[in-house]
Amino acid sequence: MRGYEAVGRSIPRGEGTVKVTGAAVYSSDLFRAGMLYGRILFSDRPRARLVKIDASRALSLPGVAAVITGADAPEVRFGVYLRDRLIFAKDEVRCIGEPVAAIAASSQALVDRALELIAVEYEDLPPLLTLEDALSPHAPLLHPGLATYSAIYPYIRHGNVCMETWISQGDVEGAFAAADRIFEGHYTTAAVHQAPIEPHACLADFDATGKLTVWTSTQQLSICHSELAAALGVPLTEVRVIPVWLGGGFGGKLKSQLEPICALLARAARRPVKLELTREEEFTATHGRAPYRFHLRSAARNDGTLLAKEVDILVDAGPYSDHTIGTALHACTISQGPYHIPNCRAHARVVYTNNPDWGCMRGYGAHEMAFATEAHMDVIAAGLGIDPADLRLQNLCREGDVIVSTQQLRSVHIRETMEAALAASGYRGKKGQMGPHRGIGIANLIHGTGFLPSSASVRVNEDGTVTVLTAVTDIGTGTYTAFRQIVAEVLGLDVDRVRVASPDSESSPYDTGSIGSRTIYDGGNAVRLAAESVRDQLTSVVAQALGCPAGEIELAGGRVGSATRPAMSLGFEEANSIALFTGRGPLIGSGSWLAAGAFPQAVGEGYGAGPLGTFLFGTHVAEVEVDPETGQTQVLRYTACHDAGTVINPIGIEGQIEGGVAQGIGSALFEESQVIAGRILNANFADYRLPTALDVPEITVACVQEPDPTGPFGAKGIGETPIMAVAPAIANAILDATGVAACTIPITPERLYLALRGAEAGRQAAPPREPLPSPGSTCQNRG
Amino acid sequence: MHEISLLVNGKSYPVSVAPDELLVDVLRQRLGLTGTKKGCGSGDCGACTVIMAGRPVNACLVLAIAAAEKPITTVEGLAEATRLDPLQQSFIDHGAVQCGYCTPGLLMMAKALLEEVPHPTENQVRTAIAGNLCRCTGYSKIVRAILAAAEQVGGEG
Repeated sequence: MRGYEAVGRSIPRGEGTVKVTGAAVYSSDLFRAGMLYGRILFSDRPRARLVKIDASRALSLPGVAAVITGADAPEVRFGVYLRDRLIFAKDEVRCIGEPVAAIAASSQALVDRALELIAVEYEDLPPLLTLEDALSPHAPLLHPGLATYSAIYPYIRHGNVCMETWISQGDVEGAFAAADRIFEGHYTTAAVHQAPIEPHACLADFDATGKLTVWTSTQQLSICHSELAAALGVPLTEVRVIPVWLGGGFGGKLKSQLEPICALLARAARRPVKLELTREEEFTATHGRAPYRFHLRSAARNDGTLLAKEVDILVDAGPYSDHTIGTALHACTISQGPYHIPNCRAHARVVYTNNPDWGCMRGYGAHEMAFATEAHMDVIAAGLGIDPADLRLQNLCREGDVIVSTQQLRSVHIRETMEAALAASGYRGKKGQMGPHRGIGIANLIHGTGFLPSSASVRVNEDGTVTVLTAVTDIGTGTYTAFRQIVAEVLGLDVDRVRVASPDSESSPYDTGSIGSRTIYDGGNAVRLAAESVRDQLTSVVAQALGCPAGEIELAGGRVGSATRPAMSLGFEEANSIALFTGRGPLIGSGSWLAAGAFPQAVGEGYGAGPLGTFLFGTHVAEVEVDPETGQTQVLRYTACHDAGTVINPIGIEGQIEGGVAQGIGSALFEESQVIAGRILNANFADYRLPTALDVPEITVACVQEPDPTGPFGAKGIGETPIMAVAPAIANAILDATGVAACTIPITPERLYLALRGAEAGRQAAPPREPLPSPGSTCQNRG
Repeated sequence: MHEISLLVNGKSYPVSVAPDELLVDVLRQRLGLTGTKKGCGSGDCGACTVIMAGRPVNACLVLAIAAAEKPITTVEGLAEATRLDPLQQSFIDHGAVQCGYCTPGLLMMAKALLEEVPHPTENQVRTAIAGNLCRCTGYSKIVRAILAAAEQVGGEG
């Protein structure tokens, strides 16, 4: 492999200066002449008939410009997988936090006051607050029209189940019948909020011709653009979306969110309107990670060989499917974990309830699934008397394995990440030697990325600088810096000569967006192809100008010319000028990328998950100390080893991994949106605690750099993977420290304390209030 | 309404404020100093940290009238013309900035810390910024950036 100049170097992000000086503009920083302030009135009932909305008192206040409700919004149904949502509730509200009306007024103080004057008459209906209630044959249907909703795949739907799927391979029954030991466990993961420090905000303005411009923070410019146009019933040319800097996404700023309501308010008020959520609204009315329940069964031989695995998944979607269908499908896809298990079955149901309207977060079902799989692995290891690391090493998946979803695994480097993590953490010397109340735990992860279209353009400016156009937004992950490195590498330029243009729906070519760990792999490939097109055009121009065979031309060190004859070369800028003034410029290259892979059509029933271009792997090791008096867990040391393919920017990937681990620590130990009677109780940062600088230890990060043949310069990406193995690594470390196998996250001090007391008394912890597996109770083992 | 004068980044701004107006809103909406961010409005996230009379404060918990005549430094006042404060440069160089929304508050908290404790230990840094939430970085690079800036400033002096 030849060495790279730009790829693989730690380059500080290009937008660093605007961000450290306070000059970077985020959506809440926008002000416009004549601007009004908007608020949304959200339902405060989990389920009720919407009898009447009386806004007359609000409208009578001087300065209130407009109130809109479902009656003013088009009856367009939205949804990522299943179109089950209207912009505003109509006839019935189905959760607390569902938009009912919106209002615009001349000042923030006025709109806050006027909002309270909108009188809504509700007729309460009995809400479905548990999965058992929603699945009961006598349950009322939350969506009587479910069968008629359009969907991107003919998902199996019935009752309050908006998606049910089965996938399997091998002879699962036979393997269980032939097994030496069978292990079984129930696992629960909590609702968790993305909790970006920037709450959602946007600004909408119509010009005199009726064309709309929206400034917003979004992870998906192209999708936001098309949903806005659909909401207004106008062509895409009549809507312009300008993304500004985004203050944290993590799956919380997908598709359109506030934008359609903001646009409808601006249209009604005939003035620019800014809409900004409060922190409480951010927690209650945006779409956090959905709570999951898992039932796992595994069949093994006494020697540790895994023979079969059966996974049953139940997801509480809240009243609309949002991304929950996709997360459940992805959980099924990787349900066997990074292991070679010939006989597997996965079954998932996504269930409507009147709980909050959940969506997805970093990890997208794979984080949830990884907790269940990896905690279960340690229970199996304990049952068989095998070290958890050895059980994993013995059963790792291999290159070319076909997993339960019929995906063929490619670019498998889980053995490398395990070996790196074991060495870097000193696991072998520490296991069993940590001292009282201390423990060490290991967990693996598997994730897939490479899906849906990306495109980009690369343009050479008159002075030889280069501009990249993409609808990918850099949501803080350093994507743009990595794109600049990719383009600089292809064109043989300094990274400083390459800039990524501010994204704008009017000029940025279509991209699915900054989601699903896909921006380096998919977006990066599109950018690479666009740059290669420019390279080829320039090569042909220079070959002709110098009378040199095109095959001899290279772009390196800011020059274009013969690789072997130094006299036969031109500076990049001069070569570009020749192109421009001989009618072969301006040099513009386009790149389109869609990961290869057949859509798995015939996999079980109702499956319909898309192809994946490549797979990502990783291994984490956590060391913890548990205070037996309080149940408090402190993470002492942490090691995260990842297989992300070639690393484009080391400082960038380190930041992604460290940040993901911190979020994982939150999910493992304390983060949970607590819901009672459909209401989130802890909708603020005092009661919903995020990890602070005192909760996150120093993290040892390593990447095993195995180039992927399909990624840009061999890169696969990182994105979501750092959060995925954290909770099970910590849970397994707690098991090592205390003997308590946690099967619910977060493992709060209260849950762990009760479980420790229960273990001490030689019995299980007290049964839970809700019909969910007991928090912190030991898993049921059978074998 | 109260006629007051706010002393921000060495400049005096006469403003007319309502008694319940918050410093963060006046900075952002009246003075156009939007570098100071609002993340929660309840003093829990630290995004609105500014230095007032030498102390770091959450600008969302300070009434504008209570800030009258007191010297205030916001993130816009950290750099001298185009010369970045060593903390700002260190944040860039160490990869301590991702989405950047918490960055102004963290910079001001770090600035206040270094003014009081020029050579903090890692634990002092972590304790000082424990009230500043960052969802992106996991804090390691922020802590390293602050320690490196302290070393640099200490070396200069």
